[in-house]
Amino acid sequence: MRYGCLAACALLLGALSGCATYSNSFGAVQRSLAAQNYDDALQELEKQADTKTDRVLYLLNKGTVLRMKRDFSGSNAALEAAKAEMARLYAVSISENTLSYIVNDATVSYAGDDYERVLVHLYMALNYLELGQLAEARVEALQADISLRELAESIPGSKFTEDALTRYLSGMIYEELGEWSDAMIAYRKAYQAYRKYQANYATEIPDMLKLDLVRLATRQGLKKEAEGYRREFGVMSAQEEEGALPEQGGELVFVLSNGLAPIKREHIVAASGPQPAVVMGASGDGRRRAAAPVFVNIALPYYESRPAEVLKARVSISGKRTDTQLMENIDAIARASLDARMPAITARSIARAVSKVAIQQSVDRIGRNNDNDLAVELLGSLFVRVAAIATERADTRSWLTLPANVQMARVAVPPGRYTVTVELLGDGERVIAAREYADVVISEQRKTYLTQHWVPRPVKPEGVRK
Amino acid sequence: MMLGASCKSKLTVWIVMAMLLATVGCSTKVTRMDAGEVQDLSGAWNDTDSQQVSEEMVRDVLERPWFNDFTRAQNRQPAVIVGEVVNLSHEHINVNTFVADVERALINSGKVQFVASSTERREIREERKDQDLHASEDTRKPMGQEKGADFMLKGSINTIIDASGKTQLRFYQVDLTLISLADNRKVWLGQKKIKKLVERSNLRF
Repeated sequence: MRYGCLAACALLLGALSGCATYSNSFGAVQRSLAAQNYDDALQELEKQADTKTDRVLYLLNKGTVLRMKRDFSGSNAALEAAKAEMARLYAVSISENTLSYIVNDATVSYAGDDYERVLVHLYMALNYLELGQLAEARVEALQADISLRELAESIPGSKFTEDALTRYLSGMIYEELGEWSDAMIAYRKAYQAYRKYQANYATEIPDMLKLDLVRLATRQGLKKEAEGYRREFGVMSAQEEEGALPEQGGELVFVLSNGLAPIKREHIVAASGPQPAVVMGASGDGRRRAAAPVFVNIALPYYESRPAEVLKARVSISGKRTDTQLMENIDAIARASLDARMPAITARSIARAVSKVAIQQSVDRIGRNNDNDLAVELLGSLFVRVAAIATERADTRSWLTLPANVQMARVAVPPGRYTVTVELLGDGERVIAAREYADVVISEQRKTYLTQHWVPRPVKPEGVRK
Repeated sequence: MMLGASCKSKLTVWIVMAMLLATVGCSTKVTRMDAGEVQDLSGAWNDTDSQQVSEEMVRDVLERPWFNDFTRAQNRQPAVIVGEVVNLSHEHINVNTFVADVERALINSGKVQFVASSTERREIREERKDQDLHASEDTRKPMGQEKGADFMLKGSINTIIDASGKTQLRFYQVDLTLISLADNRKVWLGQKKIKKLVERSNLRF
């Protein structure tokens, strides 16, 4: 009876105290973003500015929100700081990792998932491109290449060793700078990465890449390779001509960051209740009593996709209309990444549960051996149980302001000043939102980049603990 | 036996305290980090590199035969202008500070004359136009009296990165070319290489 009461107290305290997981605190930010109140969202994010272990996430989110606000220089400053912090966290912390075996995984500083480390470069490159600083965007393309090479070397079996969109954008940057052979290599790598994407994340090879491969291979005199691509993709010469840029023309590149990446939630896999009472004799002093039940739970993260209303965007410029194509499915990449990490996360949780059981049993033993007041003994036992349950939280941290997917459209237009209309289309081509960009300047033989991030309203009230 | 037991209980107390601290840590925020903290770990291009390279390059450029050839033929100091130095490296190098370092080293050598760059010239021309309208006769500077440069200094900064695990070999190569504006002749090619071995630590506290 006494233990039943104790158990109830412990559970109650466990539910009341403890702290919300990382992802639960994101609801307010998402609401501000959906309402396009970027300043409110930034203010909300500033609350996390002082966190020691989540600093990378704070900087990444700040960088993304500043991008949405179209403050590209500010965004780059934040993302650059995030990069530096990630580099610092390359070294594994002994103290944090030791703590993670007793408390939870969130005690370890978040250094970014593999795909997040690469996407920082992608977003910084896009920032520089929108600022018109092509040479700086090229620097990001080179850094992304180094990160990707490092990834491929460190985790050979991983699904995510190449980032197709980053490779493709690198190719576009090199091509605009007139570095044809570098562009060709980047397009080839993008093509190989998309073939892996097809198998792993059901993302098709975008048509624009097919045309780029054929066009550039032909330009470089790689006749056999160009012929191979033509056969494989079934590219007709009419299509090629349509896709080719007129000598004097410029190009609009529209990039849609659609929705929000999946969010990690916590789910309690196992909560061990009272164990069968075991008669414990403490060196035969006659005080025989049933052992106090031990409480542990295992909390594991899982990804919850955030509903995407918008399926694609339609870009209209000077009477031409083009629909965006899916370039990168971040939702699928994030899920695959967590799946790959799950065995390690689970193993750590179990190890933690074992250490928590050991702590509870030894606190009970100390209490009994010390001939203390029963109240003191119970208080100690109660405390470790509450602590054991309250501290077991899943690590639900991830870069939450990333989009669910990235789409792109390219339109060739003669140089000039244009008004670009972007319509976001949902099911059955229903227009969900439309936006006009006035005074978009297209220059001769240059690409003009325009990006937009669409954030849907949160469907259910967040901040509710599961 | 007794000692062992007390050690064990001490350990338990420590672990319990750690758990307690962690529970508290959830609600209170702990340390503040300086955002402008300099990272020497990274081994990136820095002001020291920029100064070293510019000084060595300038010393080299002034020792070469083109300088004496020119002064002998023209009987005056050559006028030089710094053109674009392209950043082809994998780092966001501020090329302007490097160019400023080169200019400073060249001017301070006292051996060459320096001409303002095209953006600077535009601003100065505006000022002269303004003087034409507003300045007094005796202080007014006439147009068409600019000194044309004889040579243009152009260049690029390149990097090659070789990485394996926690070790990274960074190779910086700075190329500068001096081109004669009269006939596009390249009169001097300078090259400076910097090699850095960056070893990242695997562990931190």
